[in-house]
Amino acid sequence: MAEYLLIQSLNGLVIGVIYAVIAAGLTIIFSILKIVNFAHGEIYMMGGYFGYFVISMLGIPPIPAIFVAMALAFLLSVALERALLTPLYSPTTERKSDYGILVTFGISIFLRNIAIILFGPFPLRPPSFFSGALVVGDFVMTWDRVFAAGAGVALLGLLVLFLGRTSWGQALNAVSQSRESAAIVGINDRLAYTMAFGLGGAFAGAAGALVGPIYALTPSMGLQPDTQAFAIVVLGGMGSVGGSIIAGILIGVSESLFIALFPDPSRGLSYAQAFSLLVLMVVLLVRPTGLFGRTHTAME
Amino acid sequence: MQDKGNRDQRPVTKLVPGLSRRTMLTAAGAAATAPLLGRRARAAGEPIVLGWVGPLSPPGGYAEGILMKDAAAMAVEEINAQGGVLGRPIKVVYADTRGMPAEGRTAAERLVQEDKVVAVFGEFHSPVALAEIEVFHKYGVPFMACDVWSDKITAKGYPEVFRNSTAVSLIDTTIGEWMVAAGFKNVAMLTEKDDIGLDSRKAVAAVLDKSKVHYETADAEPTLTDFTAQILRFKSHQPTYDLFFSEFAEAGAYDMIRQSHDLGFAPTAKTAIYNSGGAAVDPTFWQNAGQAGVNLCTENVGLPKSGWNDKTKAFVKTFTARFKASPPGSAMESYDAAWLLAEAIKASGGTAAKGIIHALETTSWVGTRGKYSFSTDRDPAWHYHQFMDAPLTIIQYDKYKQSADNAPILWPRKFATVPYTIKKPV
Amino acid sequence: MRALRLACLAGLAAIALAFPHLVNAYWLTVGILAMFYAIIAASWTLLVGYAGQFSFGHMAFVSLGAYAAALLVQWLALPVPIGMLVGALLAMVVGAGVGFVCLRIRGPYLAIFTMAFSEVLRIVFLTENEITGGASGLNVAPLFTSRSNAPYYYVALGLLVVSLAVMAAMVHSRWGLFFRAIRENEQAAAAAGVKVVRFRILVFAVASGFAGLAGAFYGPFIGILTPDIGSVDQMGLVVAMAVIGGSESLVAAVIGALSVEALVEALRAYGQWRLVLFGLLLLLTMRFARNGLLALAWEQVRRLTPASWRTPHAREAAE
Repeated sequence: MAEYLLIQSLNGLVIGVIYAVIAAGLTIIFSILKIVNFAHGEIYMMGGYFGYFVISMLGIPPIPAIFVAMALAFLLSVALERALLTPLYSPTTERKSDYGILVTFGISIFLRNIAIILFGPFPLRPPSFFSGALVVGDFVMTWDRVFAAGAGVALLGLLVLFLGRTSWGQALNAVSQSRESAAIVGINDRLAYTMAFGLGGAFAGAAGALVGPIYALTPSMGLQPDTQAFAIVVLGGMGSVGGSIIAGILIGVSESLFIALFPDPSRGLSYAQAFSLLVLMVVLLVRPTGLFGRTHTAME
Repeated sequence: MQDKGNRDQRPVTKLVPGLSRRTMLTAAGAAATAPLLGRRARAAGEPIVLGWVGPLSPPGGYAEGILMKDAAAMAVEEINAQGGVLGRPIKVVYADTRGMPAEGRTAAERLVQEDKVVAVFGEFHSPVALAEIEVFHKYGVPFMACDVWSDKITAKGYPEVFRNSTAVSLIDTTIGEWMVAAGFKNVAMLTEKDDIGLDSRKAVAAVLDKSKVHYETADAEPTLTDFTAQILRFKSHQPTYDLFFSEFAEAGAYDMIRQSHDLGFAPTAKTAIYNSGGAAVDPTFWQNAGQAGVNLCTENVGLPKSGWNDKTKAFVKTFTARFKASPPGSAMESYDAAWLLAEAIKASGGTAAKGIIHALETTSWVGTRGKYSFSTDRDPAWHYHQFMDAPLTIIQYDKYKQSADNAPILWPRKFATVPYTIKKPV
Repeated sequence: MRALRLACLAGLAAIALAFPHLVNAYWLTVGILAMFYAIIAASWTLLVGYAGQFSFGHMAFVSLGAYAAALLVQWLALPVPIGMLVGALLAMVVGAGVGFVCLRIRGPYLAIFTMAFSEVLRIVFLTENEITGGASGLNVAPLFTSRSNAPYYYVALGLLVVSLAVMAAMVHSRWGLFFRAIRENEQAAAAAGVKVVRFRILVFAVASGFAGLAGAFYGPFIGILTPDIGSVDQMGLVVAMAVIGGSESLVAAVIGALSVEALVEALRAYGQWRLVLFGLLLLLTMRFARNGLLALAWEQVRRLTPASWRTPHAREAAE
């Protein structure tokens, strides 16, 4: 049993890294634009399909295809932001938070359903990054998962470096703390919003491209990660990138252990999907600031 | 505009890119000669309107729904090319149900009231079919149910309702009998939480209980894609399971099959694997399952290749040419249903419901799935208007990218093409 | 002017009452479902548009009311109308509970919380199939056994009128002012003496109660329930209805629901394209006509009307 739990934890760790990549994107968008992006899961789905078509139509090898998928997800997000989110920055818009919720929710409905028409209903699977599996004693993990976790860690590391060490990152950070002060020191806040929404989308897209060979791609694949990412972002403290990385891994591992330890096996898998949602609800009720967050219970 | 770019793998398209030059020439020839055949062969006059119901958008199982719709459209083209029925062309109104009972109900009302259909066929989700048959029963409109397996559909005993697909009690009793015959002693079962999954588990379990075969069960939501935890749990069980049986039809079935293979649970020398529900005979199976599909067992609800008649051969050929994939059983059922209704209208000489129902009860029409006949016996209740000889074979792939029709048949023994009942990889 | 408005209302009532005799059974079914959605869209509007309590969990209460009513009738052999009432009451109580526990949560957090609540409930209904029938569906006893759907139509019409009347009375009373005050600025409202806690719980309870009532009616009408009615896509459809009509007015939301449901039917042959279209319409409405298409159309009508025709009130509003 102990061995089974250890193996389960390792599996959860890998999934947790992917969750963290998705959630980090959501966090960037939240901290700069002050909106919750309800279409984040759909950008993740689009990233998966971008990866697939870049490989199958342009013949680009799987690993470089991740970067192309990221770039395309970035462009798609920027286009959506330019077309639909600009009222968020206008002083005449009333109740901006409602606007943000409804518009991103509308984008999610639109993308999920247009995907069926564009990509067809059948699940598609891009080729593996590396075939075969890592076997150590009783522990088995496909190289695709190992690679996805490694790439996820690398992407998260780059993101932390980017936000902390570059002037771009510092500019974004400044805008996230105060729009007005950032404007005073000469930071172009409009550009910061566009960059942040694009960057967040690029991370969702990267996660989609990474899981492509692990799970098959379907138009509705974004629904589940979307709510999971909310749970992570809330647990990690809205707006904290480091917090959401830790929370992502925490949720991944505890979700795996939940299935392993759930007393009734005929229900364990079903309720696993509700697990992160329950965490989300409890955190919102008991500690709305999350584990590592600032106070953010109301948004102005 | 179904598909852009991925034409080689994706079979479903309304643009009909696969329409070969040869078929076009044949069609053109048929059109040119039609006037010479005189009035009878030319489908003229008011069209006879049939209705089709099924999921074409989420949350329904639109992947299969679209294939069923395409197959129905093929049948109608062919019927009309032969001069229609009673000198009139056939027209089908397609109604999307989104896989929801309420939508199915309004779709059914619409077909009956607005489109004045004389009969309806199609469906894919049992709960939706159960809502629809209430409407068809209320108005007395004949309905041929395709690819819905719940026993309740025919068990209601409505005279308007027929089923040309198999039923849970038929299919899963066969699977259970095969498990006993193949000598499995210890079975791990994983089923999806929906009408087919749960009924199926019950039916299989009943057979296993009778033969004292031990089994353990787990359920999963149909939308699940990561089964690692559950598979590892099965894998760590002592003594080792000798069969991993899953009833999982949704997209997650591919992930499950691959994860089971990659994690070294099944297929192995000790543990065989079976997936029920149709995912393993769908067009994108091999692309998604890869090498993990080799040695997988599943059921094929079409005729075994040895039993193929001319219609099966012609249908498979046209469908494959058009959609670049061999047709799943549900598509054949939808195709045959259109023909069955057309033939029943022809035989009864009119479009009155009573005549059509009577003609269906006495039909012996031969379609792509063999010679049809519908039971009129009501004991047990689900036999009523059920196609009792619905073809069903259990197959096991032994090569990568093998088509379901070419895979070795394990069961029933009268169709078997190999001496063994199960082959485990060494 | 008052007489004209009364005449309009009487005409509308006459059409609504005669509707079953004017259309065939199919359009009658569509009409009943449209009113089902209208109750949901209107109560969502009360919660979101008037009181500013952003919820994506409204369909959960529809599904709760529906399942509770059906199961009570099945277990306790209650008469169907009593079951419906108890189902609606239960949705109301649970709604008040959700309103209570969510007192500290606002805006997008509330949207996320309610969405999670809705998904958890859907998963429970799907998983506990021994009780709910799971995805195979739960058979529900009918309210009427007649061949025609006309009795269902009148019940739906009655429920719609009653729920609209109750909600309209609420928003046009002093309570309506309190709701708006809470929506605009909760702290300021509290400082001005509005009992924020009481009114937030109240609006959640009332809106959820009517959603539950709609659900409790839906079950016996359709005859079978599946957990899908609580899905995110269904919520999206209701949001689209309310926003396209205008989510800051009960009547606009109702008209939005009726017209979108008619559109859903008219476009049935276009299966997959329908939700794409509604998603797009939702986006365009939000982006370019935030008060809904109805308000936009109304403005156009008014602009074309000579100023002398306008009532003093309307002129005031225009300025």
